[in-house]
Amino acid sequence: MSSIAAGTGQFLTLRHRRNRSNLQSSPSSASITTSTITCHQIKSQNPNKPTKNPHPKSSFFPFSVKNLAVSAAAGVIFHAALKNPSFLGSGGGSGGSGGGGYGGGGGGGGGGGGGWWKWVLSPEANADENQSEWDSHGLPADIVVQLNKLSGFKKYKVSDLVFLDKVKSIIVGSDDSFFEMVSLRAGGVYTKAQLQKELETLATCGMFEKVDLDAKTNADGTIGLTVSFTESTWEEADHFKCINVGLMQQSKAVDIEENMTEKEKMDYMRAQEREYRRRMERARPCMLPRSVHGEILQILSQGNVSARMLQNIRDRVQKWYHDEGYACAQVVNFGNLNTNEVVCEVVEGDITRVVIQFQDKLGNVCEGNTQIGVVKRELPKQLQKGNVFNIEAGKQALRNINSLSLFSNIEVNPRPDEKNEGGIIVEIKLKELEQKSAEVSTEWSIVPGRGGRPTLASIQPGGTVSFEHRNIKGLNRSLLGSVTTSNFLNPQDDLAFKLEYVHPYLDGISNPRNRTLRTSVFNSRKLSPVFTGGPGVDEVPPIWVDRAGVKTNITENFTRQSKFTYGIVMEEITTRDESSHISANGQRVLPSGGISADGPPTTLSGTGIDRMVFAQANITRDNTKFVNGAIVGERNVFQLDQGLGIGSKFPFFNRHQLTMTKFIQLKEVEEGAGKSPPPVLVLHGHYGGCVGDLPSYDAFTLGGPYSVRGYNMGEIGAARNILEVAAEIRIPVRNTHVYAFAEHGNDLGSSKDVKGNPTEVYRRMGQGSSYGVGAKLGLVRAEYAVDHNSGTGALFFRFGERF
Amino acid sequence: MDREWSGIQQFPLATQTKLLELLGTLKEKEKNSVTILVMGKGGVGKSSTVNSILGERAVAVNAFQSDIPRPVMVSRERSGITLNIIDTPGIIEGGFINDQALELIKRFLLNKTIDVLLYVDRLDSYRVDNLDQQIIKAITRSFGKEIWRKGIVVLTHAQLTPPDFLSYDELFARRSEALINVVDSEARLIRRENPGHALPAVLVENSSRCTINDGREKILPNGIAWIPNVVETITKVATNESQSILVDPNSIDGPNANERGEWLIPFILGVQFLFVTQVKKWIKDDIAKAPKSSWE
Repeated sequence: MSSIAAGTGQFLTLRHRRNRSNLQSSPSSASITTSTITCHQIKSQNPNKPTKNPHPKSSFFPFSVKNLAVSAAAGVIFHAALKNPSFLGSGGGSGGSGGGGYGGGGGGGGGGGGGWWKWVLSPEANADENQSEWDSHGLPADIVVQLNKLSGFKKYKVSDLVFLDKVKSIIVGSDDSFFEMVSLRAGGVYTKAQLQKELETLATCGMFEKVDLDAKTNADGTIGLTVSFTESTWEEADHFKCINVGLMQQSKAVDIEENMTEKEKMDYMRAQEREYRRRMERARPCMLPRSVHGEILQILSQGNVSARMLQNIRDRVQKWYHDEGYACAQVVNFGNLNTNEVVCEVVEGDITRVVIQFQDKLGNVCEGNTQIGVVKRELPKQLQKGNVFNIEAGKQALRNINSLSLFSNIEVNPRPDEKNEGGIIVEIKLKELEQKSAEVSTEWSIVPGRGGRPTLASIQPGGTVSFEHRNIKGLNRSLLGSVTTSNFLNPQDDLAFKLEYVHPYLDGISNPRNRTLRTSVFNSRKLSPVFTGGPGVDEVPPIWVDRAGVKTNITENFTRQSKFTYGIVMEEITTRDESSHISANGQRVLPSGGISADGPPTTLSGTGIDRMVFAQANITRDNTKFVNGAIVGERNVFQLDQGLGIGSKFPFFNRHQLTMTKFIQLKEVEEGAGKSPPPVLVLHGHYGGCVGDLPSYDAFTLGGPYSVRGYNMGEIGAARNILEVAAEIRIPVRNTHVYAFAEHGNDLGSSKDVKGNPTEVYRRMGQGSSYGVGAKLGLVRAEYAVDHNSGTGALFFRFGERF
Repeated sequence: MDREWSGIQQFPLATQTKLLELLGTLKEKEKNSVTILVMGKGGVGKSSTVNSILGERAVAVNAFQSDIPRPVMVSRERSGITLNIIDTPGIIEGGFINDQALELIKRFLLNKTIDVLLYVDRLDSYRVDNLDQQIIKAITRSFGKEIWRKGIVVLTHAQLTPPDFLSYDELFARRSEALINVVDSEARLIRRENPGHALPAVLVENSSRCTINDGREKILPNGIAWIPNVVETITKVATNESQSILVDPNSIDGPNANERGEWLIPFILGVQFLFVTQVKKWIKDDIAKAPKSSWE
């Protein structure tokens, strides 16, 4: 007899656009858009009609959700706002394709004529686009006209719309839930056919026992519409049950034929009832928590079950699902009405398939270079087949895939599975980035020549040449290289180069263990903080430390932040003075003004050039997270360089560092966008030590923005063992924070254990404290720090974080 | 091999007798050779003191800084005892220690044993300044603090008239006390460690106008004949219970920190391996404890 049909046609798009020109993870815009979700109208019969429903004990109330728009927008950090389902249909978030919803989706068998369903268009689509053109009704004013008496050729302007509850004889306000059933709006222009269609929709939606539409003519040619209705009601119920009917075969109803005998009809009804019971047994339990269950029982206790009450229940149930992110969950039917138990049938949106698709630049489906496994391993398991689709899992997948940096555009769409009732196919559409890229950036430095005029010879072409070959073999392997010099004509002066090969998924693409092999050839040039003067020492001639070598390591990622890296480094270290001459000893400025080159040795070999091979390991444990933008948690880093006795003077050493930083949240705060962050206390300790051969370039230095603030790099000393402790308190102010800190660095008396004792030679204290206050201004830290050794303070501007 | 200590005959008889007696004491203690290191600021009379003690012009006295500051060793033998006196140039240059000069001295002293260190300063400079501290520090750093157990503070230019309010002995006491205090603090030699031991101080007057007594011995304003006194103190210190200082490569560069503890590295590595394993466990705990969203 009655019909059950579920058609959930929905279109949910999670979209991410990557800025092609920025290869690093620079700000790229991302948006998640859920466009209109439409559910198809389901044919239903009025359950109270005695002729069609001779058995009052089992009746069905199929539901239709007309128009549901969910939209969300997301920034880089995905502050996705999921708007509550709005029935007004004007959905669509930023960058989204909101508006008219449509969907495919399986219908089901229905009673009566075998069930039918139709598209329901959004109200905007229903109203005539051209609002200004409408026809006068051409009738005397203030008469009530029945709908079928209106002219089929005229466009009527509806000046007002009134709902009249015939049972209670009251006019229903526009805030009533019935209003959302009607797509007509006051002020709209409609033809008779449209009005008739609307009436038909209302009559068949199952909410009303009887619906009439009358028009009242107005003097100005417009008409006022009155929708008078009688609400459907059923017997009181005191039990509620929610079942998951997703992926279940919809019951195929056999029509009651006119020529059935009474007995046949009874048998048929019983069969129906049995079948429904069996269906309920087969159905899986749904996720609805007890608390919501309780709320619904409260709604039920209000009296007779009415259409409005069911609508309330549906709204409550759907709200819970949508709040939890189950954006595809739909209440499709209410069953077992007129018994003491209301059965709510929900399609939760089970994922039946995950499809990964590649698109070319024009958006056509094409064969991708990337291996599917690379993408698949980034999908959270909640997005695998057999789980209920959750928009948060979708977003997580989007973020994970985005972090591969392989795609310019990523879309995660759930779409209804035509072959599987209530199923969802998760479609992941990817646009690949160009595999190879090369870049040349040049700059010309024009140096004044003789007479202050630039000559041709003094124009130096400098710049960077870089190339990148990404996603080799579709396995996200990449080869990067870059060369930078300030003079291409004479590149031996200062040539910085880097060549790196990255090989992820070392244990195989299907292995969950995530290890990446990296090999690089590099060089670097740094000013040595070991050869720095203490307070009052004007100028110490600088020593440059050039390193060039090969490095290979394996990184195992445990979480996004915690990782373990181990590898081997082979490098040549050359120490040079200001004029790029190799220098084996640090220099000192003599009181007479001369320079003597009898300072501490710069290298282990004593020649100014060291070659060595050593093993390196680093383990980082980081469980920090953001609480309203403030970082909270703990970060521990242990780093080890183990000399292997290979190289100049057979260096054998064990150089180790342990850093522990704790961010303690001082107050519980409510989490959410726009809420203020908690005050945070930061405790930091850093120990560095070395046993064995220690060249001065590997000595630990104290002082500097990342060591003891308020001092210059290396101003406190250079030692074999060091200890740094720091405390900082951060107080949120508006959307940033101010902080106060105190820090101390100590060489533990080990400065003398560095060959040549550079700490003493350059008259440094070997220990020092500082304290100060500061404020975070965007990316910049502005801080006033007092250096305790000299007792003077200074204002500093620094980029980035200290901890 | 070494030259005969002929200069001893220049001394007055009383002094000669005393010196020979002291040499006899050394012989008794089976000390056949005594090496004396003389250090101090420039221009305080180090070389003159050496000459005075030996009774001959063994080292060239240069009132002004020599071109290349080099240490010089003079060896004299008498009745089976060899006296080695190492005269060093001033290691101060323009208010700072000349590391190069110090290095030279250290190289010169390599593999020699120092029995006595004479730290020479003037009696008539009333203040202990930063330079004294620096030199004392440099000496300590170079040879270890133990050297001060073999140290003697020598105060030159001893023939002076003290200020009115001070007696000569008081002046000497104060002056030597001040220098000894610096040594104590710089060398971190706590007297408590060795209560019986205090750095001895002696007075020297190298000037030829030095007062002489009836026995033609050079005497100080307090009446002491200083040469026998100095040699006596040297003998005492050379034969005291403290070990003589052998200058080996280790003591030149300080203990080689690069070699210290190297044998421990395998153990350290083992501990570090255990630590990394522990950190891995912590990370696993973190993963298990990480708050999950409701959908997870």
